[in-house]
Amino acid sequence: MEKFQLKMKVNGRTVTVAVEPGLRLLDVLRDVLHLTGTKEGCGEGECGACSVILDGELVDSCLVLAPQAHGKEVVTIEGISREGELDALQRAFLTAGAVQCGYCTPGMILAAKALLSRNPNPGRQEIARGISGNLCRCTGYAKIVKAVELAAAELQQKEGAAGV
Amino acid sequence: MSETCVVGKSAPRVDGPAKVSGKSQYGADIDIPGALFLKVLRSKTPHGMVKRIDVAEALKIPGVVRVFTHADVPGENSYGIIVKDQPALTDQVRFRGDALALVAAETEEAAKQALEVIKVEIEELPPLYDVWSAMAEKAQAIHAKGNILTVSRVKKGDAAAALRTAAVVVSRRYTTQRVEHSYIETEAGVAYMDNGILVIKAGTQNPHYDRRDVSRVLGLPMHKVRIIQAATGGGFGGKLDISVQCFLGLAALKLGRPVRMVYDRRESIAATGKRHPFLVEYTSAADREGKLLAVKAKIIGDTGAYASYGPATLNRAAVHATGPYEVPNVDIEALCVYTNNPFSGAMRGFGTPQMAFAAESQMDLLAQELELTPLEIRRRNVLRPGSLTATGQRLDHSVGISATLEAAWEKAGRVMPGLGGEVK
Amino acid sequence: MLNLSAYHQPKSLPEALALLGSSGRALRPLAGGTDLVPALTKGETEPLGLVDLSRIPELRGISRVDNQIRIGSLSTFGEIENSPLLLAVPLLREAAAAVGSPQIRSQGTIGGNIANASPAADTVTALAALDAVARLESAAGSRSVQVSELLCGVGQTKLLPGEVIKEILFQVPPQGSRSGFVKLGRRKALAIARMNLALVITFEAGRISRARVALGAVGPNPSRRPALELVLLGQEPSRTLIDEFAMAASKEVGQMLGTRPSVSYKREAVKGIARDLLQRLFFGAGQVVG
Repeated sequence: MEKFQLKMKVNGRTVTVAVEPGLRLLDVLRDVLHLTGTKEGCGEGECGACSVILDGELVDSCLVLAPQAHGKEVVTIEGISREGELDALQRAFLTAGAVQCGYCTPGMILAAKALLSRNPNPGRQEIARGISGNLCRCTGYAKIVKAVELAAAELQQKEGAAGV
Repeated sequence: MSETCVVGKSAPRVDGPAKVSGKSQYGADIDIPGALFLKVLRSKTPHGMVKRIDVAEALKIPGVVRVFTHADVPGENSYGIIVKDQPALTDQVRFRGDALALVAAETEEAAKQALEVIKVEIEELPPLYDVWSAMAEKAQAIHAKGNILTVSRVKKGDAAAALRTAAVVVSRRYTTQRVEHSYIETEAGVAYMDNGILVIKAGTQNPHYDRRDVSRVLGLPMHKVRIIQAATGGGFGGKLDISVQCFLGLAALKLGRPVRMVYDRRESIAATGKRHPFLVEYTSAADREGKLLAVKAKIIGDTGAYASYGPATLNRAAVHATGPYEVPNVDIEALCVYTNNPFSGAMRGFGTPQMAFAAESQMDLLAQELELTPLEIRRRNVLRPGSLTATGQRLDHSVGISATLEAAWEKAGRVMPGLGGEVK
Repeated sequence: MLNLSAYHQPKSLPEALALLGSSGRALRPLAGGTDLVPALTKGETEPLGLVDLSRIPELRGISRVDNQIRIGSLSTFGEIENSPLLLAVPLLREAAAAVGSPQIRSQGTIGGNIANASPAADTVTALAALDAVARLESAAGSRSVQVSELLCGVGQTKLLPGEVIKEILFQVPPQGSRSGFVKLGRRKALAIARMNLALVITFEAGRISRARVALGAVGPNPSRRPALELVLLGQEPSRTLIDEFAMAASKEVGQMLGTRPSVSYKREAVKGIARDLLQRLFFGAGQVVG
C-alpha cells in the first residue's frame, strides 16, 4: 500500500515521515523517531504507559493510528524538560519518591501535565481522576498524587510571584 | 568524609532523573541496528508429547532467517531456579503456553507470519488442571519423578493431643486464586556476540541466575555469557525466572547476529509465572481464655507445569502458617504439586500472603466462638520477646507485632471513628 | 502492525460518503479509534481500508437552537463532558464523564459509541433516556432514526453499507426537569459498565409529570424501560417511592436477564444504583433546569 506522508510537530519540531498507515502513533514515536520514553504496556488503552499529549489532549498513543496525528502537535516525555532542565513535575516526582520501576512514569507525568494545564490547582480527587487512565504497579499511587500536589503548589507559587 | 551516614535520610534515586525524562533504556528500548526479531510459537494444548514440528512453510516466508526447535538446543535443555525442569524449547507440552519453536526474522511481521504456518503434531494427554487429579494415584506424571514435587513439614509438640482436649476447635478449608504480577513492562531484551562473548541485555530481577541457566542451556562456559540487567519495569518476583533470556541467547549464538524480542501483554500473561493458588485445610484450637493451643494445617500449592520457586514458596508457607502468633503445638504439611496450569513462582510474599488469609480468618472465627473481640484474641496470642516460633526459634530480640497491632488499632479508631471500640 | 490497503482522510462529508458508498463494506469508517484500533491490531477485524472521519467539519461541534441540541457524531466524550451547552442535560455529561479514562475521553466519540453497539455503552443509555435521534447520511441520502432503534443486538446496528452517523439530535427536557446518570463498574476508571442507569424526571406542582428511565448492560443494547417510568409517573418524591422504584427495577432486571448467570448479582445491584440516583435527583443537589 501507498505510504502515508505524515507531517506533525513532535516536541516543538516539525517532522515529516512516510509511514505505513496501519502504524500506530506509538510505533512512529518509538520505532521511527526513536523516542523510546513513550512505553507500551498493554497495547489496548488500559495502562496508559503510552500516554502522550496530542493537540493539548491526553491520549493513549497505542489507540491512535499514525495518520490520525497528521497535522497535529505531539508532546512526549522527551519534550517535557527544557534544555536539559527538569520540569516542575519531573522534579516533584523525584522529590516525592513517586518513581520506582519508572515504566509508568512518562505516561504518568504527561497525564499530570495535561491535568495541570487545565486545572492548575487540583484537589486530591481531581488528581486521582486525572491519572485514572494510568496504571502503576509499584507505588500504590499515594506518592504520585503527592508529587502532582507538590508540582501544582510550585507552579502556583511561581505564578503568584510573577503576578506581583 | 562529608556524607558517610545515609541512614534515616532520604537519598535521591540514582536512576531517578533518567526515569522521569524518559531516557532510561528498558529491554524494548535498546536500539540495536540490524537486529533480528524473535517470536515464540506457544502450545495451544495443555498436555502432550510433541511428535513432529514442520517448519518448511515458515522458512519460505521472505525475511524469515531461521526457526529453532528443541532439537537445536546445544546444551542441557532444562532450566529453573530450584529444579531444572523447564525446557527452553520443549518436546513435551506441560501447559498451554509452553514454547515449541523460536522464529528469527528480519521483521516482526515476518516472524509473526511464520508462527501461523509452523505445523506441530502433538499426541495429546489428558490435562490435569487441579491438584487433586494431579495427586491421584494413577495420574499421568507431568514430570518423571511424579506430580508431588516437595513436601515440607513443621512439627512442634503434640498437635493431635492438644486438639482432642481443647475447649474450642475451628476447622475450615481455604482456597486462594492464581495471580498475575502485571508489571507494566512486559518481558523484553536484546542479545549479541561481542568478541566471542554472548551478551544479553534484558529486564530481569536475577542476572546471576540467568547467567547460570543460559550457559547451561546453550552449553557455554559461564565466562562466555554476560547478562546485563536493563532498566526493569517492575518484577514483583515474576522476573526472577527466565523469560526471553534463553531465546535471545540461542538465536544470537547460532546466527551470529544481534537479536531482539518483546513479549506482548498476552504472551506475558500466558507464558510467565503466577502467584501459587493455595488450598489450605486449617484447624486451630484454643482454651477458654483464647490462648492458642494448637494448629494443624495441610497446604497444597499448585505450582503448575514447572517448579520455578514453588518448593521455596510452599516451604515458606509452612513456616509462616501460624501467622504472628505463638502456638505450642504445631503440625503443618505443605505440598508443592505439578499440574498442567501456567507455572507458579515467586510473587511478593512467597506464600505468606496466602497463609495470612487463612491464619487471620481462623483467628476471627476463634474470637467469634469465644465471644472475644478480634483484637483481644490477637493481643493474647501475638509473638513477644521470649516466644517460641512454630519452628522452635526463641525470639530473644525485639518482636514488633504487638506494637504494630496497637498502632493499627489506634489509627483505625482515628480514621474510622464508628469502629465500635472494644465492646463486643 | 496491521496491513491496510487503503487509508483515506476526506475533508468533507460528501467525499467520505462517496468513498464509503463505492466500497460496499470493504472500507470502514474510523472515528476516534479507541475500540477500532486495538481490534485492528489484534486482527479481530480486517477491513481492506479505513476512511478517517476526523477531518470532516460537518461531523463536529455541539450546538443548540431553541430547545434542540445537536451533537456532531465526532464530538469526543471530553467535549461533551465539558460543554457548557450541555449543562441542561446532566445525564449526558455524567455519562460522558463515566467513559473509560481521560485518554479514552479525549479520543473516543459519541458516534463511535453508538456505532460500536456495545450493550454497556454509557452515552447510549443517556441518549435512550433523551429519546435522541441519529441523523444518518449516505451517498444515497439521509434519514433519521431513534438511537435506540438503530441498535439491534450486541455489536449490531441497522446502519446500511456506506452510511455514517452525522449527528445526534434531541430536545432539552422540559422545564422543571432533573436528570442524572449512574454507572456501576468493577472500578472507577477503565471499567466497562456492569450496569448503568439514566433518568430524566420532570416535576409539575410537586409531582412527577414525565419520566424517562433507561438501563444499560442489562440487554443487548441500552433501552428505555416504560414499566419503570410508570412507577414514577404522577407520584410525589418520597423515600417510599425510592424503595418502590428500586424493587421495580430489580424485578425488571430479573425479567430482562431471565436465566443469565449475572441475574442474581444485577437484580440486587440495580437496587443500589437506582437508590443512589433517585436519592440524588429527589433530595440532592441535582439542579432544576429549564
